[in-house]
Amino acid sequence: MENIYNSIIEALIFSSDDSIPASDIVKAIKGIDGEEIQISTSDVEAAIEELNKKYDEQNLSFRIIKISGGYLFATRPEYAKYVGYLSSEKSKRRLSQAALETLAIIAYKQPLTKPELETIRGVNSDYILNMLLEKNLIAITGRAETIGRPLLYGTTNEFLKYFGLDKLSDLPKPREIEEIMKDEDFIEQKNKIMMNMIEENLESETAEEQNADETE
Amino acid sequence: MYRIKLDHFEGPLDLLLFFIKRDELNIYDIPISRITKEFLDYVNLIKMLDLETAGDFILMASTLMHIKVRMLLPREVDEKGEEIDPRAELIQALLEYKKYKEVAEELTFLESNQRKVSFRGNFSADEKESPPEYEILLKNVTVFDLAKAFKKVIEGVKPPPVHEIKKINVTIDEQIEFILSMLDKNPELHFLSLVDGMREKIRIVITFIALLELTKMQKIGIKESPDFNNFVLYKLNSN
Repeated sequence: MENIYNSIIEALIFSSDDSIPASDIVKAIKGIDGEEIQISTSDVEAAIEELNKKYDEQNLSFRIIKISGGYLFATRPEYAKYVGYLSSEKSKRRLSQAALETLAIIAYKQPLTKPELETIRGVNSDYILNMLLEKNLIAITGRAETIGRPLLYGTTNEFLKYFGLDKLSDLPKPREIEEIMKDEDFIEQKNKIMMNMIEENLESETAEEQNADETE
Repeated sequence: MYRIKLDHFEGPLDLLLFFIKRDELNIYDIPISRITKEFLDYVNLIKMLDLETAGDFILMASTLMHIKVRMLLPREVDEKGEEIDPRAELIQALLEYKKYKEVAEELTFLESNQRKVSFRGNFSADEKESPPEYEILLKNVTVFDLAKAFKKVIEGVKPPPVHEIKKINVTIDEQIEFILSMLDKNPELHFLSLVDGMREKIRIVITFIALLELTKMQKIGIKESPDFNNFVLYKLNSN
């Protein structure tokens, strides 16, 4: 791919008002310059890397990020305060603990019904589900085949954008239950071993003292 | 006095995890009696402070007590012949919830990072090329939006129902008089023609009752009529 396309790709991403997938970029270029043009999505990715390198070197305040399956121009975190001043979006409140827990469960177990969700959380989830639906962070993705045909919930593209993720597999892996327990077990074991060692030391010290006493 | 700092708990599982962490209990070997007591103390404290006790907490309290009872009884045995620990389900639920609680913490971290970033495509005032009609109608609309809109319409302005209650002064005595006077004109009367023209249901009912009274008093008699759903009243001569 020739270097000229770097600028074209840059323009395409700049003019897009939502994250634009590499495949769309390829389509646009082939559409204008002809199908014979040798360009693939990995070419696009390489071009973006070069562009970002340029932005870094020139200390520009923005860069291209990969989010929600596509590319987007975004400001760097250092300027957050200034940018946020003028933007009402950013002053929005953060999600509550309940919202985050609910999102976590839905994100990993989707599609999921409300009863399944409530079993894990242990509390009624009507309000929180409605709130998350309103914010378009989750959506109804269908109905389960079981009795009553309850609604199924899943996360949306907005969800990915909200947390800065490119795709669902970018979510941090939940530590498997055994791992979590191993951690705590390990700490407990370690403590026990320490206690044993200390006791043994004490015993041998007192034994020595006794011996010393006796031999006198 | 036993004091508990009132942290906000996301639910009964959250509260149990708090106790387990604070008292450094072994989650695989929860001292059921102790944790039940602490849990109940918390629920009672909430009630005392007059906060609304969520039903979920009360449900968990009874679950804990149920487990406690099962711990005292000989253990049940499953198909493999192994003993079932009555706490097993609870432990599983706690671990699963804890797993997602940790994930939620990671999400907080991601959220705060993303808040520092602003996208180029932050505008809604852009003039876009007019897409084909269908796209305008169906863009970004989910079933949920449709359901919400429908609900609004259904619950919308209904004409306030007007109920007018009129008191109708009809007494049994009045109707007794009425029946007797009608019978003076016609010694035999069909019931349907007697009540013909009466517009209020209550009037018809009272008339019927009056009719029964008169029969009881042996002032009138009732006999069949060849028509369906009708009968004939006739005056009885008092002997």
